Amino acid sequence: MEMPQYDPNTKPEFELYTIPSHSSWFRWDDIHETERTALKEFFDGSSISRTPKIYKEYRDFMINKYREEPSRRLTFTQVRKSLVGDVSLLHKVFRLLDEWGLINFGAVSRGDDSDNRDSSLGDTELKNQVKIEEGAPNGVRVVALPNSLKPISVPNSGADGSGNGKVVVAGETGVKLPPLTSYLDVFGDLVKLKGFKCGSCGEQCNSGCYEYSKGSFVICEKCFKNGNYGEDKSKDDFRFSDLGGNSLTHGATWTEAETLLLLESVMRHGDNWELVAQNVPTKSKLDCISKLIELPFGEFMMGSAHEMNSSSCPTGSLNSLKEGQSASSENQNDVKMEDQVHDQMNESEQNGDAATEEPPAKRKRIAPLSDGGSSLIKQVAHISTMVGPHVTAAAAEAAVAALCNESSYPREIFDGDEDYLANGLLSPTMVSDPERALQVDASKMEENQSETQDASSEKNDVPLNLRIRTATATALGAAAANAKLLADQEDREIEHLVAIIIETQMKKLHSKINYFDDLELIMEKEYNEMMQLKECLVEERIDVLERALKTGVSKWRS
Amino acid sequence: MKLPATSSSKAPVKFRMPTEDNLVPIRLDIETEGQRYKDAFTWNPSDPDSEVVVFAKRTVRDLKLPPQFITQIAQSIQTQLTEFRSYEGQDMYTAEKIVPIKLDLRVNHTLIKDHFLWDLNNYESDPEEFARTFCNDMGIEDPEVGPAVAFAIREQLYEIAIQSVASAREIKISKKGRRGAEHAISSKGGGNALDLMKLFRYNSSVVRKRKEWYVYEPIVDILSNEEVDALEAREDRNTR
Repeated sequence: MEMPQYDPNTKPEFELYTIPSHSSWFRWDDIHETERTALKEFFDGSSISRTPKIYKEYRDFMINKYREEPSRRLTFTQVRKSLVGDVSLLHKVFRLLDEWGLINFGAVSRGDDSDNRDSSLGDTELKNQVKIEEGAPNGVRVVALPNSLKPISVPNSGADGSGNGKVVVAGETGVKLPPLTSYLDVFGDLVKLKGFKCGSCGEQCNSGCYEYSKGSFVICEKCFKNGNYGEDKSKDDFRFSDLGGNSLTHGATWTEAETLLLLESVMRHGDNWELVAQNVPTKSKLDCISKLIELPFGEFMMGSAHEMNSSSCPTGSLNSLKEGQSASSENQNDVKMEDQVHDQMNESEQNGDAATEEPPAKRKRIAPLSDGGSSLIKQVAHISTMVGPHVTAAAAEAAVAALCNESSYPREIFDGDEDYLANGLLSPTMVSDPERALQVDASKMEENQSETQDASSEKNDVPLNLRIRTATATALGAAAANAKLLADQEDREIEHLVAIIIETQMKKLHSKINYFDDLELIMEKEYNEMMQLKECLVEERIDVLERALKTGVSKWRS
Repeated sequence: MKLPATSSSKAPVKFRMPTEDNLVPIRLDIETEGQRYKDAFTWNPSDPDSEVVVFAKRTVRDLKLPPQFITQIAQSIQTQLTEFRSYEGQDMYTAEKIVPIKLDLRVNHTLIKDHFLWDLNNYESDPEEFARTFCNDMGIEDPEVGPAVAFAIREQLYEIAIQSVASAREIKISKKGRRGAEHAISSKGGGNALDLMKLFRYNSSVVRKRKEWYVYEPIVDILSNEEVDALEAREDRNTR
């Protein structure tokens, strides 16, 4: 440790350099025994180039050179250029000072061997150095094209901080990026697809379009009506796909206000969808119905609404059902239909009182049944609305038996059906069976159309018809009921599982919080200890400094 | 044989490399059938000569050279060894001589220029250690540079040793018991030896002036591929 000369005019500068305690023998003015023994060459008078004075010069120069910048590691090469003498000897002196810590004591360390080139983590100098390699690396040709790849040069980490011989790397990656794409470029095609453009007149087909079944050609309704089918296409080739009335995509944006309105109007008007649609201005009847069904409690609403209106409901329901059917496309309506059917069944069950009214009502309804153009499922739906629950249940078995008697194919199906029907359980797979059975029935239905016209005719027909109808209706209805039950169960299960998950998460979070609380306590304690330690150290340091300053060693000047 | 460093500078010593290991620098440059083999390494002269052929064979196999090289390599090594041995019996004066050593070599992509002093009288000097320190300090990562530097130093020392042998012979011839033999030695024993008297005078500093630092500073350049090719072409032209 050294002190500058005490100059009363200027403030004393304190430059304190640390050396290890085992080097405390070192004195600027003197050459210690340690040095003499280690470097005998200087002290035996063997050469004029090696004298104590020369040694002292070497030593002092090296130490001062190091102390110009204590944090950087002094290398032998840096000092040897400034000193006259045999490099091997100089190296010996350098090594002596290094080993005794008189130089490079506070400098960052580096690997001693040339093998150990990886710099230690504290060597910030290395990280700040970047190397440029000029020219392409071996094996890569630089091509004079704008999009050619320039080589990626890896920065080399040198092992030491001397300035000579380092080159800087311009880290230019050679990857060519594509020109910036916009959202539209990528998704433009998708955006366009959402709105169909008519192939013949070029307008947007908003409400409905006719799709060419043999290709991807679309024309709007107007063109279809006008006969502009396009080249080589005839009317039959076109399939109607309704976009406007498509309850799944179109008009699906329901704001809260609209939903509220819908619910209110349903409460008031129940099944009278026309009125409901009027009250909800922006949504059509079909949208209302579908939205209501989608609502979790929609079905209950429809059910409860029906309790209020007794007589008007069958009519309304029938009409709405019919329109509902015509509105949706064939492909995507099975479930909905079943739901609706189920709803109707619910209604009709609730209206068990009206069962007695059924037969006469049935007779009235028979005329619409003659509409052979509608699909089979629609017919079944018709039937189910007309038939009361008790009658349905009672006649189901009879119908099944009758059908079985007529041919073997339905027997196969209905044998399976019977068991299920008897137990009151239906698996979802039975949905397909009733359909198949229904198809078989279709022919019979059409045969019996004329019979159904005459409702008041023989009683044999009625039971037969009844049987057919009830069988199909029951099958379908039961399937629908089962589906709903399953759906309900699924919902409940999901809710239950979600609740469990949430609970587990909560527990997890709680335990984490507890853990962190504990950790915090520990940290606080540690912090306190550290503070105490720090204070102790500061006191010690002050002590030491006081003592050092008292001795008043003068600082060596070069 | 090693002598203590404090041996008297006046007595002649037997010829040897003035380094700790008495190794001979061997340089090979053989061209056959359009293939050129250049190499430089150190050889221990106390190894039996049979090792030469073994070494040649191994080298040819490792580098996949045509077999004609074996004999040529062995011959070249043998020649240089014999030359070395011819000096061995003789005396040389390695009086207090600090010689400047200049490095000017290119190893792969690294170009090195350096200038420093070397004490011939120091039989414990180690060019390899110097080379190692050099590479460490300069942060050279090419592992071929170190040995090349050490070899260059050795070569120069070898040259100087040979010269000193020659001059010792001269002096012996011319010396007729003159007293001032030492002065003659120190002045004639190598034109490029430093005048120690001047340098290490009592009232002169051994620390160089700052403006002279650049002279003795090493310069390490890393070349690009094109420069390397250009230099190689020039070297070839010079040697042919």
